Amino acid sequence: MDTATGKRDCIPSCDSCDEPAVYFNPGLQRHLCERHLCLDVEHRVIESVTSHGMVHDGDLVAVGLSGGKDSSVLLSILCCIVPERWDAEIVAITVDEGIAGYREETIQSAVSLTQQLGIQHHIVTFQSLFGKTLDSLLGSYPLRACTACGILRKKAFSDAAREIAATSIATGHNLDDAAQSVLMNYLRGDFERLLRDSSSMEDRGFIRRIKPLHEVNEKEITLYSMINGITGHLPECPYATTAFRAEVRTLQAAIEYQHPGASHRIIQGQESLSEQAKKTVRPCGAVRYCATCGDPCSGPVCQACGLLAGLKK
Amino acid sequence: MRLQLPDGTTCDMSGEPTTVTTLLTGCNINPLEVIVTRNGRLIPEDATISGSDDIRVYLVAHGG
Repeated sequence: MDTATGKRDCIPSCDSCDEPAVYFNPGLQRHLCERHLCLDVEHRVIESVTSHGMVHDGDLVAVGLSGGKDSSVLLSILCCIVPERWDAEIVAITVDEGIAGYREETIQSAVSLTQQLGIQHHIVTFQSLFGKTLDSLLGSYPLRACTACGILRKKAFSDAAREIAATSIATGHNLDDAAQSVLMNYLRGDFERLLRDSSSMEDRGFIRRIKPLHEVNEKEITLYSMINGITGHLPECPYATTAFRAEVRTLQAAIEYQHPGASHRIIQGQESLSEQAKKTVRPCGAVRYCATCGDPCSGPVCQACGLLAGLKK
Repeated sequence: MRLQLPDGTTCDMSGEPTTVTTLLTGCNINPLEVIVTRNGRLIPEDATISGSDDIRVYLVAHGG
């Protein structure tokens, strides 16, 4: 019974207990209460981490912590499940891109969370690494904000992770992000990215990247965060609405709503294609190293150094 | 029934029973992109709302 209103019959019950449901999964036709939703999310993360061998004894896992809901939930769950199962250490890395009116709040949220969890927290800034904030970089170079930010943030994370001798970088990419990335690569006709198997990148000199939330959708992560009080209401990046991803996100959400489970199937299709391509497409060439910074890359210079060189012209 | 949308706008609705999904789709909102509370408590999208319920719709913030 809802003690506030006395209304119980209008809220479906959890499929695992008698508590009122807070979430309905249309694909699985399943209702979950607060407790069972959280247990279900944690179970799927544990399953992903173990079945894909994402964490090993002796690992130093650097969690990319923006302070938003995805990375904050990821850090909270990893801090809960990893010490019980592996002799591995977790640290957090936050990249401050320098986005006025947005970053201040999310960084404060990241600092509070790491203090609460009692883990090491490293903060690196675009200003110190590249000499300018993202806002000022974009002011002098007419590039799509998310493209420039994505390239430089990846470089910042890699440099920071290498600095602390991290063995892997964990990111908060979720199920919806993954389905959107597949759709974006199709729409761009970028089949190299579509077929790329990121699990083999470690062999090519890159730090291993793991995505423990890849089986959890964005709504489930938001609910998990709200139920556990992990993040409060935080602003959205002001550049997010200008991104191609924003258009694709609306499309993907509409497809998922009309055809529950479509996001999973989009990803499964991409994985099958990638597996098939391994048999027929010539393998990547020998690893090359950036002439400017020495990072492993596919061309004469890495994307970040190429971008920064363009800014100086 | 009082409804508050993600942009902060509020409107008073009829107290006739309806589902959250019907309410949201009537406002051109994809239920997958929002979280809904009734009188401060999280509810699923197939819950029925009615009477003097205070319904708040929160946008799932992207990224992070």
